Amino acid sequence: MKPLPYSDELHQAAHQFLVEEAALLDAGDYLGWLGLLCEDIKYVMPVRVTTARGAGFDSLPDMGHFDEDMYSLLKRVQRLLTEHAWAEDPPSRTRHFVSNVRTFAFSETELYVESALLLFRSRGDTREADLVCAGRTDLLRLTTEGMRLARREIKVDESVLRTQNLAAFL
Amino acid sequence: MIDLPGVLADVGRGMIPARIYNDAEIFALERDRLFSSAWIFLAHESEIPSPGDYVVRRVLADSFIVVRDENGTVRALFNMCLHKGMAVCRAEMGNASHFRCPYHAWTYRNDGRLAGVPFHAEAYGGDDGFAREDQSLLPAPAIDTYNGLIFVSLNADPPALREWLGDFCYYLDFYTRQSPAGVQLRGPQRWRIKANWKIGAENFAGDSYHTPHTHASVVDIGLSREPKANKRKEGALYMAGPGSGTTCKLPPGGSFLEQLRYVGYPDEMIVTMAATWSKDQAGLVEESGFMVSAATLFPNLSFVHNWPVIDAAGTVAPFISVRQWQPVSENETEVLSWFAVDAGASEHFKRQSYRAYLMCFGSSGMFEQDDVENWVSITEMAAGSMARRLLLNSRMGLTSEDKPVKPPMAGFSGPGVAYQGFGEFNQRHWLSQWSEHLGARDEATSL
Ligand code: FES
Ligand SMILES: [Fe+2]
Repeated sequence: MKPLPYSDELHQAAHQFLVEEAALLDAGDYLGWLGLLCEDIKYVMPVRVTTARGAGFDSLPDMGHFDEDMYSLLKRVQRLLTEHAWAEDPPSRTRHFVSNVRTFAFSETELYVESALLLFRSRGDTREADLVCAGRTDLLRLTTEGMRLARREIKVDESVLRTQNLAAFL
Repeated sequence: MIDLPGVLADVGRGMIPARIYNDAEIFALERDRLFSSAWIFLAHESEIPSPGDYVVRRVLADSFIVVRDENGTVRALFNMCLHKGMAVCRAEMGNASHFRCPYHAWTYRNDGRLAGVPFHAEAYGGDDGFAREDQSLLPAPAIDTYNGLIFVSLNADPPALREWLGDFCYYLDFYTRQSPAGVQLRGPQRWRIKANWKIGAENFAGDSYHTPHTHASVVDIGLSREPKANKRKEGALYMAGPGSGTTCKLPPGGSFLEQLRYVGYPDEMIVTMAATWSKDQAGLVEESGFMVSAATLFPNLSFVHNWPVIDAAGTVAPFISVRQWQPVSENETEVLSWFAVDAGASEHFKRQSYRAYLMCFGSSGMFEQDDVENWVSITEMAAGSMARRLLLNSRMGLTSEDKPVKPPMAGFSGPGVAYQGFGEFNQRHWLSQWSEHLGARDEATSL
């Protein structure tokens, strides 16, 4: 399948969706972010592994960093909104950089969108900042309320993460 | 220079010199006197089920290929070529009948034996110059397993593993032998944290005191009932052999079946557990009314068992995690966190248990997130000169005369010593083993 040309309105809408989503996450508006997700959201991030070139796999088939649905994402968001989520209090300063966006028309109402994500995360005043780099494959659904995220697979580019936890969304 | 006898004396009376949580000299001693001799976990047999399956794991800086050879024997081979020292395996997992060194192509069978040397006749004059027979990648000096958990020791003459595990086996079975099929490990998730490795090990060994506060948020959101203060303070802490752990108090008066239903096990698994565990083991649940929670096997292998609510309908599902605190330096640790589940469980149960694990522990777990934040902060604080003047009070549960505030529990079903309520008995138990290693001068390492 060939990606839609950049001039295509659907591509532009998908790209804008991802940038708006990143803005919500960086602003800590997690409830706003949940509003961009479909009720049947699947949000997965497999564990990547270093394997020989001929091995035929480079992620674990049965283990992820995330394997979420609306319930578990809602719990994660609710937790961050409590007064006891020490992992993010004081909050990290994050920047979600979204680039390399390619949009593929999948059906009348659905788009596949690939993007590259670089998360910059700074905690405290002097700690070295964390970077998490990943490719994402999203299924965006065109609904009467606008575009919504139905599926996201996050392909993280490190086997051993160098961030103290994933108290962040990618 | 560190005053080691002074440090160990302070540790012995439960006043812990803060610097031990971020100190290069202490870390060097740990490397030379502890990791050089203790049994260290590397992998589980279920990770390498078929001949040729391997994973690459470390003991500090030493990389081992943990491989099942063609005959089914599990081996731990030092991953350094006998020729000029290149790593013969640079993947972290896979399947191979042979490992070929990328540098000059010496080739090893998956049992470690040297099988091929290019230009053997021309370069070495054949066996006369270099006899290939009896050449093998260096095996770990000692290797043994319990319930499929593969341990190695860099000491060629350690105590027998089963003997060393001793009474801790009773507790280990709750995590790794719920049925004759045994446990199956998935993962690990791996990530690096700027924390000293001892902090996580001590925490899982016995810190039920942190749970109500550190993990308050998971109660706030209705994910878990168990961190609540009253549940934890009625829990029992136990020390047995080289391990120790925490338990949660179960609702009063329940039968074995009811108690395991309460934590979310389906009936068919409960029936199997009843048939698999000894009467004494079942007694921990039924007679004493406790369910195992976190535990640490000295030095750096921990376990956790918990039972969150995994969906909007209120389904409770239990999960087990096995985790290792792999030291990188005095202020950095690689966490390896596996999801563990009874290999004989239904796919439905495995799926639910896996979701429960991901929500609670591991790189994204809602419990783990807050733990790590604390441990990184402790490590940061321990780096400076003020920390060298500070003794951390780890005396919880002791009177000024070193007597337990409350006597040990009488009639506790498990072996070892158990106390009900909060206390830092287990952390001191862990630290006393640590002290024993650091205090022992190892002739072989001639420091
Ligand atoms: S270093 Fe391995 S063959 Fe030379
Ligand atoms: Fe904790």
